[in-house]
Amino acid sequence: MEEKEKKKHRAKHSGPKAEKKRKRYLNDLGIGDEENARKRNPKAFTVQSAVRMARTFHRTQDLKTKKHHIPVVDRTPLEPPPVVVVVVGPPKVGKSTVIKCLIKNFTRQKLVEIRGPVTIVSGKKRRLTIIECGCDINTMIDLAKVADLVLMLIDASFGFEMETFEFLNICQVHGFPKIMGVLTHLDTFKNNKQLKKTKKKLKHRFWTEVYPGAKLFYLSGMVHGEYQKQEIHNLGRFISVMKFRPLTWQTSHPYVLADRMEELTNPEDVRINPKCDRKISLYGYLRGAHLKNKSQIHMPGVGDFTVSDVSFLPDPCALPEQQKKRSLNEKEKLVYAPLSGVGGIVYDKDAVYIDLGGSHAHEKEEEEVRPNHELVQSLISTHSAIDVKMASSKVSLFMDSAPLGSEDVGQEFVMPKEERQVDEKTGRVRRKAVFEDDEKENDDVASDEEDDQEEEDEEEAVSEDGSDGDDENDAEEESERALLREGMAVRRAKRLKTEVAQEEAVNELPAFADSDDDLEMSSQEEGETAPEDSEMEEDEEERDLQRTYEYESSDSEFEAANKRAESKQYGINSESTETKSQISEHSPKRKAVLTTDSGNCTAEEASESEDENSSFEEGDDEGGSHEEIETEESDRNGFRHSQAKKADSVRQTKVKTVDTEDDDVENLLREEEEYEEKVDLSADTTGALKWKEDLTQKAAEAFLRQQRSTPNLRKLVYGTAVEDEDQESEDADDELGGLFRVSRPDKASRQKANALDCSKFLVEKPQDWDLEEVMSSIRDCFVTGKWEDDKDAAKLLEEDEELYGDFEDLETGVVHKGKAAVGGEQSGSEEEEEEDEKMSKPEPEEEEKKKERMDKKRKLKEMFDAEYDEGDATYFDDLKEEMHKQAQLNREEFEDQDDETRVQYEGFRPGMYVRIEIENVPCEFVLNFDPHYPIILGGLGNSEGNVGYVQLRLKKHRWYKKILKTRDPLILSLGWRRFQTMPMFYMEDHNGRHRLLKYTPQHMHCGAAFWGPITPQGTGFLAVQSVSGTTPDFRIAATGVVLDLDKSITIVKKLKLTGFPFKIFKNTCFIKGMFNSQLEVAKFEGAAIRSVSGIRGQIKKALRTPVGAFRATFEDKLLMSDIVFVRTWYPVSIPMFYNPVTSLLKPAGEKDSWSGMKTTGQLRYERGIKLKQNKDSLYKPIVREKRHFNKLHIPKALQKALPFKNKPKNLEKKGKTPKDQWRPAVIREPHEKKISALLTALSTVNNYKIKKAKVKHREQLKEYLKVKQKEDEQKFKRQKEAKKKVYRILGQREKKRQKSSLKGSSKGEKSM
Amino acid sequence: MAGEAQCLSYTGCNFLRQRLVLATLSGRPLKIRKIRAKEEDPGLRDFEASFIRLIDKVTNGSQIEINQTGTTLYYQPGLLYGGSLEHDCSPSRGIGYYLESLLCLAPFMKHPLKIVLRGVTNDQVDPSVDVLKATALPLLKKFGIDGESLEIKINRRGMPPKGGGEILFACPVRKVLQPVQFTDPGKIKRIRGTAYSVRVSPQMANRMVESARGILNKFLPDIYIYTDHMKGANSGKSPGFGMCLTAETINGTILSAELASNPQGQGAAVLPEELGQNCAKLLLEEIYRGGCVDSTNQSLALLLMTLGQRDVSKVLLGPLSPYTIEFLRHLRSFFQIMFKMETKTTEEEHMGGEKVLMTCVGIGFCNLSKTMR
Repeated sequence: MEEKEKKKHRAKHSGPKAEKKRKRYLNDLGIGDEENARKRNPKAFTVQSAVRMARTFHRTQDLKTKKHHIPVVDRTPLEPPPVVVVVVGPPKVGKSTVIKCLIKNFTRQKLVEIRGPVTIVSGKKRRLTIIECGCDINTMIDLAKVADLVLMLIDASFGFEMETFEFLNICQVHGFPKIMGVLTHLDTFKNNKQLKKTKKKLKHRFWTEVYPGAKLFYLSGMVHGEYQKQEIHNLGRFISVMKFRPLTWQTSHPYVLADRMEELTNPEDVRINPKCDRKISLYGYLRGAHLKNKSQIHMPGVGDFTVSDVSFLPDPCALPEQQKKRSLNEKEKLVYAPLSGVGGIVYDKDAVYIDLGGSHAHEKEEEEVRPNHELVQSLISTHSAIDVKMASSKVSLFMDSAPLGSEDVGQEFVMPKEERQVDEKTGRVRRKAVFEDDEKENDDVASDEEDDQEEEDEEEAVSEDGSDGDDENDAEEESERALLREGMAVRRAKRLKTEVAQEEAVNELPAFADSDDDLEMSSQEEGETAPEDSEMEEDEEERDLQRTYEYESSDSEFEAANKRAESKQYGINSESTETKSQISEHSPKRKAVLTTDSGNCTAEEASESEDENSSFEEGDDEGGSHEEIETEESDRNGFRHSQAKKADSVRQTKVKTVDTEDDDVENLLREEEEYEEKVDLSADTTGALKWKEDLTQKAAEAFLRQQRSTPNLRKLVYGTAVEDEDQESEDADDELGGLFRVSRPDKASRQKANALDCSKFLVEKPQDWDLEEVMSSIRDCFVTGKWEDDKDAAKLLEEDEELYGDFEDLETGVVHKGKAAVGGEQSGSEEEEEEDEKMSKPEPEEEEKKKERMDKKRKLKEMFDAEYDEGDATYFDDLKEEMHKQAQLNREEFEDQDDETRVQYEGFRPGMYVRIEIENVPCEFVLNFDPHYPIILGGLGNSEGNVGYVQLRLKKHRWYKKILKTRDPLILSLGWRRFQTMPMFYMEDHNGRHRLLKYTPQHMHCGAAFWGPITPQGTGFLAVQSVSGTTPDFRIAATGVVLDLDKSITIVKKLKLTGFPFKIFKNTCFIKGMFNSQLEVAKFEGAAIRSVSGIRGQIKKALRTPVGAFRATFEDKLLMSDIVFVRTWYPVSIPMFYNPVTSLLKPAGEKDSWSGMKTTGQLRYERGIKLKQNKDSLYKPIVREKRHFNKLHIPKALQKALPFKNKPKNLEKKGKTPKDQWRPAVIREPHEKKISALLTALSTVNNYKIKKAKVKHREQLKEYLKVKQKEDEQKFKRQKEAKKKVYRILGQREKKRQKSSLKGSSKGEKSM
Repeated sequence: MAGEAQCLSYTGCNFLRQRLVLATLSGRPLKIRKIRAKEEDPGLRDFEASFIRLIDKVTNGSQIEINQTGTTLYYQPGLLYGGSLEHDCSPSRGIGYYLESLLCLAPFMKHPLKIVLRGVTNDQVDPSVDVLKATALPLLKKFGIDGESLEIKINRRGMPPKGGGEILFACPVRKVLQPVQFTDPGKIKRIRGTAYSVRVSPQMANRMVESARGILNKFLPDIYIYTDHMKGANSGKSPGFGMCLTAETINGTILSAELASNPQGQGAAVLPEELGQNCAKLLLEEIYRGGCVDSTNQSLALLLMTLGQRDVSKVLLGPLSPYTIEFLRHLRSFFQIMFKMETKTTEEEHMGGEKVLMTCVGIGFCNLSKTMR
């Protein structure tokens, strides 16, 4: 049998079992419990050094706190504006390609040409505005200020270029946005190793510039002229998840990166003067802070302006509405780039634009003639996201057709045919609104308004002069009325299209008009505000008690008036094709005027305004009649007459249906009559329509509703609620030389215009405080009164008890019962009784209970939170919490209000798509408009529009080759602005004196002061010497920060006045030549003076002659040859030179060639003028004459007194020795010479021997002494030892003897 | 190109102070026309001239043009400068007239303001220095303007018509203000006050106190009214007496009322008892109006809210005084800011009259004068 091999036991080496075993084993050994090394080896964890421990603790704390930033209130809006992505890089690096690829990546659309910003929806919560930044330093500066993210393209095959570094430096100065590097042209590397090396090198350089670890992207190669899809996709993903830091300047100022521009100037003005100032509107997303209407803005490259109007528009590139799904569908991937000719339907304030391309032949012709193409935005495809907006908006299908609303589609689609005929006349289309009783009033109103608008247009056409009468509308109206009233036949100097304004007012007013009379009054008011005759004003004051809110109405008119201003002309020039095209552009806009408004204007409001209409009509009629007269007078075409008439009818149509055009004339006549009668003809002015009958009632209802909703207080304070343009429209009439604006107070305040200025709020009729009821009315204002439930201490205590319910005092064993239980029981018993009642009202009780429960819960939670959080609530946490609360409040405060009202309180909030109107823009901006250059509207804070002296801390850039010279013009980029100014450099002395420097220091900070726009302290700036052209060198000359702002400044330079002594006494001397008059001397009495040799003195008093001479004393006697000087500090004045860089006004293609003031050096160089140098300041070889000093003469008396040491020794000069004492010279024989030479040689040898012997001897002696010393030492030692021995023996002997003597004595005694 | 802010234009002399103050703070030029143009003696009065001079003192680079008759004033504001100053106020108005405006401007100076004002400390027209000291300073503190240097000190008391009082007003400088949420006035826990008398019998003060207490004691036991009798040089040039009362709530709201005797030689003599009673009643009236800021300081509170950071501020006020209403209008024209106003009727009946909740978003004002180091 073969032995069966037994399987050996294999011990487990792993697994839980083995683990357990090992542990046990180790435990047995006493070194178990590996996890707890602290326990196992406590010594290793003891505090070795308390100091070290403290230090490590300190360090960790330091590191922790370093991470803290000062918490700021988070003011980002709920729906933020698109992120601005700026693509920067040197030319030919592939910027546009990257943009195109990104757009394609996000939207699946291919843009051919990128002009201006492109806004795309990149995700559910993010939109991007991508803009390309050229290499013009102006563009770089402007875009760095608005960028959220910078894509910095770097040509890897070339490496970094100056533009990259310049841009980085610009960013650094103006707040550092996120920067992401993108390496392109990587496919040019054939060698893989080389590629890797380059990548690494570039990466590290990039890191030093931005921050270590900054993201650098690699775009490896191009495929069919595009970057690789995957790489672009990744890049896009990075962009769309990136977080941004808030930058101080950006968060504290509103700004708009405009993506659309339109000109609104009156074409007639342009015709008369092609160089006239323009009125434009700019569109874009508002970013940064809230923007207020009428605030100051700066357009970098253009100048400062006041916003004449702001309105918000529906978002053209909105985020998807519902965000449930994971990704965007195709419809939601919007792209909006009007400047590049791409966008959805473009919604304007008052129109919608669609471009139908070139498919319509008849339009092609027009398009050719069209002056500015950008104005009409094109649309290629409609997106369904717009459906929502379609309802409230109008669409013009053809260039010159009336816009259609969604409601129009059914009924009015036939209209175009009719319109054709009208076209022949006016070049425009007229539409009729169909009004039906059973139709929604809302629609009616809208359509009515449209009609009105149209008619207005026509009416405008009638108005003859192109002057900007819009402002003066009301005024004119006024005067008209007044005149008519008084029966005076005074002719107006100007004709204005006033009625239009009123119509507009009607359109907008209803929303705010709380009472009928208000409106009526407002119309009257307008009449009163005639600026020409102040007498009239007085009259009115006396007359009407009613008029209160004049401005409200006029406000609203203002806007409308503006619009009108643009359009008024075209009726006149309708024949010319050019204007035709303009009309075509304008008309859709106008037709759709107030599409938004019509949305707001509810039916009730509209009806409410009915009553007022009568008054309006009156006013209008007057205007109309006047117009008529005027038109008759004026030698215009006949058709204008009819138009004028139509215009009149318009007013009526507003309220009612449109009157047919035929009976315009009749209407007019009738209206005139009405006017004279001054009867309220609201009901029966025109053919008495049925629907109007119950208008008063409706109006009353609406009024009541409004009364309830809008607080009267607001009306009391701000006049009728929603209007902010009040001043503007009114003030225009009161313009004084175009300089000042009048803000007209309402009547109440006018009455008290000259009253006593006192802030006390006097009690008019005090209550009788002795009465009990009066007293009780404030009883609870005192702590002694009744408290609110949530504050009353007793109540609170009770609640707490309820909350904690029953508990048993363990010590005493007393059981405390909660009251709630008792209450519950009681209620339980009561329940049955009140069963019936309960049936009737079960809900409230239940609710109450629920509420109670919730309260309890909340309280418990609060307590828990408090307990839980208490431990580590630091100051920082508290601060953060506070900020968070504030942010919460900011968000919630106006959340429930509609945008219209919200805008009034807050201003336009960031994230809105706004349209900003600006007036008085230089015409070059429009004429030379180039969409490739960014247009930025930067909002300015209070008094940031003013100018003053600004002090900076400045340092020349270390890469800039030259130093900067005081008073040389320098271009600064500060705040939003770029401007040229003449800074003066200075250093602050230790005593606070600012001493002028001629040049900036090479490597140090210095102060700089210039005259320019006031910008908050702490704002960074950079300086360049020129913004034109390109130089191979680094362009940024200096950087720094604003320190101080002032209206005066003291920089001084040293001025030395020199004089010469003309008479010297002991320490006093008379000095001339320093001053020119006694008065001057008097001014300097007591001043310290000094001679060049260093003798100090003081100016004492002026002398009579010579003029300007004075007496001075010194610490020592001066010499006549001394020069005396006094050191004075002379204040230098800073040149008041502030010249904004207007690079955007340059013609296209020359925008990077702005040059301002030149330095004298440049001018001299250009013109070849050599500086005539002062002869004195030329350098010459210095020739110094040897100076001879006289012998020192010591008086005899002094000599005698001196100690011998110091006495001059009388070393008499030896006289010449007499000839007889001369010793004869010895001349040796050769033999003797030899002997003496030998002797010298011998003696030398001898000497040497002696010397040698001496040395040897000395050494021997040394040696000997050494030995001797040793011996001595030994000897001494021996002796010492011997002595020691001897003494010891002696000592012992002595001891013995003593002992023995003692013994001996005892012995002796014993023996005795 | 440098677009100077547009000039605002007004007519009439009323609200001159707030216009000048707001123009200074907003940096917008201002033109006021027709100042008393139709009156017997047209043009600016001496106290207004004195006020303009004071504005000129505290600013640097202001440009003030007044026409020959004094009916037109053009003001181009400079930057607020501050520093140690002295000013002789016209005795025709109280120091309160000047001090109120200074309270608005002082936190925004370049150097902390320390100014000595001389004139009438207490009169019947303007809020007295005592009241401003008791109410305006705590209000400033709520906005983050505090510190040791914030003080009003009455060195001498001066009564109309001759004045002779002297006060010291010092205020630190701030770069930004805090937003406030000040919606709960709380309940009144104590009443304090000062009864002052100069150049009359010191007994007057005691008599006033006695009568005032008589009325107030019905509501609250915690009443203490100081008597302040100034003598000698500290008592100014004219005799008079008066009283100011403040009620402080548990939340730190301070409401005030004051009364002063008729100036010497004008009107009938007033009994101190009567004055004390009337003053106490005025205080009750003020309590009835209620709010977190008393009626004199409404405009100051609203201004400081406006000048806050871009955050929401709220304050609960009593009924708006005419001065405040005009101030709100001015705020809108100077700063384009509108307040949201909600009327709050108290649910409980014994809490006084209607209140107004004022809400606004600050304009993000920052002190442009302050030097950065």
